Amino acid sequence: MTNAPCQCCLADGLLEDQERSGRIAFVENIDWLDVTASVQGDQDAYERLVRRYEKQITGLLWRFTRDAVQCEELVQQVFVEAYFSLKTYRGDAPLLHWLRRIATRTGYRFWREKAKEPQEMPLPDFEIMEQIEAADEDRIDPSEAAAVLHSLLARLPSPDRLVLTLLYFDRCGTREIAERMGWSRAKVKTQALRARRKMKEIAEREHLLERLGWTL
Amino acid sequence: MDTLKALAKLARRAREEQTPVFGVAELVRLRIQSEGRPSVTLIPLGLFGGLSAAAASIILFLAVQLWQYMNSPIMELVAPLPEITLW
Repeated sequence: MTNAPCQCCLADGLLEDQERSGRIAFVENIDWLDVTASVQGDQDAYERLVRRYEKQITGLLWRFTRDAVQCEELVQQVFVEAYFSLKTYRGDAPLLHWLRRIATRTGYRFWREKAKEPQEMPLPDFEIMEQIEAADEDRIDPSEAAAVLHSLLARLPSPDRLVLTLLYFDRCGTREIAERMGWSRAKVKTQALRARRKMKEIAEREHLLERLGWTL
Repeated sequence: MDTLKALAKLARRAREEQTPVFGVAELVRLRIQSEGRPSVTLIPLGLFGGLSAAAASIILFLAVQLWQYMNSPIMELVAPLPEITLW
């Protein structure tokens, strides 16, 4: 006997899919209306767009800096830059994809500018890790896990850090990273391979597994 | 456990983190209004550029005119000395 889904379940799934795609189309339509209104100078329309996507863009930029003040500044920069480039948005991809591309490049630029500043590379804050004391993944506080990962990633050069940040935090594929950064897919793949190797070395040097209690 | 698997596990947990919410819409509007103004300052820049181009074309015109009347300084070196009859 096979475990194939019954017809009514399939129909429900189909309806859900149609509903979801209809909802996406509706949102995109609203976006397009707001974009055209913004280009014509309607600032209320642009404010609506900012409110609609602020959360997603903040979520992405939080991976670039965990400093709330810097993150807010970057979010503002992204939306200001997007406003002045809005005429170039052709609408062939959802607006969120376009905004994410600007946000990724803004975050990357921020890292590169920070790297130029003469400052000592901060060591990962392993006090946080000592507080984790958990062998079980579910018992780790998500923000502590993010802080640990962020501090480890911060020890990589900017291109390596970017690729791993997008892979780990944003679950981007190599194609999407390449599209966002305007790089070739081959470059992203090579970068990811190299970055993973470096990250492994760093984690091993810092005895990550022992500190997390995941050696068993 | 493999280090890379541990990192992936950490990342899985990190993705569940609640990110802060700032509410930047109003500030973005203010920045757009303040940053939108510098386009007006392009007018003096254009004026300056125009005047420079006009001055450059006058100088070019004069230079061409002068060029046509100028003798080559090398010709002075290779030209035979004029014979002067003293007596």
